[in-house]
Amino acid sequence: MTAQFDDLIHAPTRLSLVSLLAATDWADFKYLRDTVGLSDSALSKQLTTLEEAGYVGIRKAFVGKRPRTSVRLTPAGQAAFAAHVAALQEIVARSGLTVVPDQPATGLL
Amino acid sequence: MTIPPIDAELALAEIRIRREQVVGANLVPAWFWVAIGGLMVMFVAAVESARPVFVAVGSVVYALGLAGLILAVVRRGRVQVRPSLIGARGALAIAGFTLVLVAAGVGLGLLLEAAGAGWPATIGCVPVAIGLAAGGPLLMSYLRRVMLSRPLAGSR
Repeated sequence: MTAQFDDLIHAPTRLSLVSLLAATDWADFKYLRDTVGLSDSALSKQLTTLEEAGYVGIRKAFVGKRPRTSVRLTPAGQAAFAAHVAALQEIVARSGLTVVPDQPATGLL
Repeated sequence: MTIPPIDAELALAEIRIRREQVVGANLVPAWFWVAIGGLMVMFVAAVESARPVFVAVGSVVYALGLAGLILAVVRRGRVQVRPSLIGARGALAIAGFTLVLVAAGVGLGLLLEAAGAGWPATIGCVPVAIGLAAGGPLLMSYLRRVMLSRPLAGSR
């Protein structure tokens, strides 16, 4: 896989959203909204940006009478995310910062 | 575009934290295992009593209780973790946990029955329930470690 820094993904809110989506098959709109702490409109705007880039797919369905919107990372989104992570890891590795790759974090940020 | 290394490290930390959130939201809580164990012992005892009223009540309570527990866990989850994070190691751990408990319960029940003990299936279920209550959280802890040890991206 080629490391490729992705400006679209790296924006803080979108990085949070794509990181959540990378660990899921499908994520509920409300889950994303509550977890990242966005308003409905702010989340919609970010998801539209990612959708236009082909990084996420949005599915709208009804569960009973309630509308439910689900979001998933597309294969293109997964590839872009993987390339972005590799680029971040390269930057850190080149700098000589002490990094334990891919280990669970315990509280940064 | 290049960014300072510290920013890259902070971004990687953010990615790890978000994955931890998803994994944490998917783990079955400890009370679920205790409740499942209790329901199972109650149901088996009701059936083994062979008294129609107990069998009927026990079956209804078991069905409603199980449905309620599953619903509570599903509603709590709200997000489905990517199965590839669990992987073969996680799947084997789940299968092994299940097989050990089933084998222990059935084996002990058959032994007790052969020995002529009363209520063999119910007694056989007790260690299974204890195993669920004690082992369920341990299994979840192991699965959490497995999922968080996966590469952040790329290896799916």
